[in-house]
Amino acid sequence: MRKFKVIIIILLMFFLIYFLQSNFFSWFNIGGIMPNLFIFLSLFIGLFVGNKMGGIFGIIFGLILDFAIGNGIGFTSVFLGVIGLLGEYFDKNFSKDSRVTIILMLVGSTILYEVATYLVKIFVSGAEPEVLTFILTLFVEIIFNTLLIIIFYPLIRKLGYYMEDSFKGKKILTRYF
Amino acid sequence: MKNKAGMIGIIITIIILIVVVIISNISTGNLWAMESAVGKLFMPIQNGIVYLKNKITGNEQELSDIQTLKEENQKLKDENSQLQEQLRELEILKSENNTLKEYVNLKDKYSSYTTVPAYVIQRSLSNYDKLIVINAGTDDGINVNMPVISESGLVGHVISVTNDTAKVQTIIDTASNVSANISNVQESVVLKGTLNSTDILRATYIPADSTILQGDEVVTSGLGGIYPKGILIGNVKTVVNTQNEADRYAEIEVSTDFSNLETVLVITEQ
Repeated sequence: MRKFKVIIIILLMFFLIYFLQSNFFSWFNIGGIMPNLFIFLSLFIGLFVGNKMGGIFGIIFGLILDFAIGNGIGFTSVFLGVIGLLGEYFDKNFSKDSRVTIILMLVGSTILYEVATYLVKIFVSGAEPEVLTFILTLFVEIIFNTLLIIIFYPLIRKLGYYMEDSFKGKKILTRYF
Repeated sequence: MKNKAGMIGIIITIIILIVVVIISNISTGNLWAMESAVGKLFMPIQNGIVYLKNKITGNEQELSDIQTLKEENQKLKDENSQLQEQLRELEILKSENNTLKEYVNLKDKYSSYTTVPAYVIQRSLSNYDKLIVINAGTDDGINVNMPVISESGLVGHVISVTNDTAKVQTIIDTASNVSANISNVQESVVLKGTLNSTDILRATYIPADSTILQGDEVVTSGLGGIYPKGILIGNVKTVVNTQNEADRYAEIEVSTDFSNLETVLVITEQ
């Protein structure tokens, strides 16, 4: 039952982010540049829920986005899926208790996702490469994502551990005994 | 104590974010809003100082009947709120009227083509794509590669379609290529979207011997098989000359306002 509740929460988060990205951030942006909260959502699921759920939800969310407003089918899906799995890798190797660690994870994931997306735009869609403009856009996007994470960190942490408890049970860190 | 510090940090971050968003989106034309805010902040102080000054110098006028003035003020406030309510209703009617006018104008302007009107229902969620989704699909006779126009000019072309929606790649998308003619140039040029702008296209492959002037009109050339000839795209904003003549390019200001694009027409038959 708790797992089902968590899945409902994840779906609600996706729809909330979809609404924010398509409406709120179309005017609340930095010089026309929006944050990308879908990257954080996939990373968040991978980090706290685990059990390959980050990858699965990343793929599902990516497919929905591709069908709704994507340039081609499958790319967003694969990239968000990879970010979800990366979240699980981060969970096994780093602590989630620090705000700085979470921010660094998000910065790395944003760079990876956006570079991959832009490469597809260049090599598959035939866009003219504009490296400097891309770097500047990415930089602003990272700053925007980071500020949002700083603001919502207490909520993210609380919700994250609730999800973790529901899926993984209470953890006993045996290495400390 | 730690919680309090954390909360202060969050509040400071929210303030920083809001300030950055406002500053990055402000244009000189919108500075009146800041002026108004500053005015609201300092006007009471200013009024207070003037009142004191008048009192000291003996210039103040005694208010004979404060009660009457208060009543009058209340009456005016009520009238004001009623007028504001009426204004809001008028604004809604005006907006509806504008949308209908846009449709009629569009139909008249492009009467030589068979067109299907549609609303923009979704815009790209990414910083690197400039696609839109419209509320017309195969049920309305729309197919892939059909050109899309607005009242002010070219918008783009359909790249995928469902029963009741169609995805449109706009001409400002970085992956878009449009063949165009500039007023005084015989040969056609290629227009491409840029990553950091929603109103500028880059015109390349400009013939070396051609003279392009600021303000020259840019229209579709009809080459490429998607867009019909002669649809307005925009005007030349600047011409950038490089050492190599072949590399020179022009910046074209698009005539369509993509930030506020709401209604479009899909050309189903040319």
